[in-house]
Amino acid sequence: MDPIDSAVARDHLELVERILAESQPRLCSGGEYFVVWGIGSAFVTVLFQLVDNGILSAPVLWSAPVVLLACAVFSVIRGRLTRGELRRASLVQREFFNVLWLTIGLAFVVNVAAYRIFSGAAAAAIWSVAEAIVLLYIGMHGNRRAQIAGVVVVVSLIAANFAPPPIVGYVLGAGMLVGYAGFGLSELLARD
Amino acid sequence: MDELLLSKVRLGVVAELLNYDWVAFSELARALDVSHGNLGAHLAKLVEAGYVAEEKSFVNRRPLTRYRLAQAGREAFAAHVAQLQALLKTAETG
Repeated sequence: MDPIDSAVARDHLELVERILAESQPRLCSGGEYFVVWGIGSAFVTVLFQLVDNGILSAPVLWSAPVVLLACAVFSVIRGRLTRGELRRASLVQREFFNVLWLTIGLAFVVNVAAYRIFSGAAAAAIWSVAEAIVLLYIGMHGNRRAQIAGVVVVVSLIAANFAPPPIVGYVLGAGMLVGYAGFGLSELLARD
Repeated sequence: MDELLLSKVRLGVVAELLNYDWVAFSELARALDVSHGNLGAHLAKLVEAGYVAEEKSFVNRRPLTRYRLAQAGREAFAAHVAQLQALLKTAETG
């Protein structure tokens, strides 16, 4: 004999269905990271192009590691503060951060350790590819703005491929700024 | 039937944890609308059975107790819900 009757079983199943229906985890991307990294990566990309074109002198390139370090410091501090505010973390959120750090981490390693293969515009393009993967992954979880932003970054990659060499960096930088930073800004506006 | 999951609060806890990596104690109490004392007693049984894992830490100098669903809890939940559905189906057809 069953320890509960059908009325209790129905009541319990309704409880489970209600909880599962209400707990569809939304992917929280943290718009500020995208704004900061979008601006940072676009700045570095455009800076290299300006130096390459002879508009700025080479010593200004020393500002690139400073900017990237500032982006990293911001991410770490903001991440620590956010952890204190979180009351729950979804499985899809964990997967997102895995994809984010793997992609950005690999792009960084490639830039630092494989610079002979990915030199010049290719190094910037690697960042665009990484950013497009992150945006399209978020888009896969139903974020329409991320889908559009991902497409913008991909289009900038294709456009840069066919652009004259003196403007390749500008095209890639525009893709980072509009796609990556623009997506972050739209997330912040939607949140508020 | 899994006797541990016959309690509506414990079943609710496992259902709440199903889609999440972890959920804080206060958030579980809010979501299930139960008192902290009541929830603590139910969670202790789930932890003891190995269905739920408990983690205590300090974030920004404040204590944070959070819970995550263990594989045993996930399997027990799936089996229990299947049995509830079977019971309901039998009652409706029989």
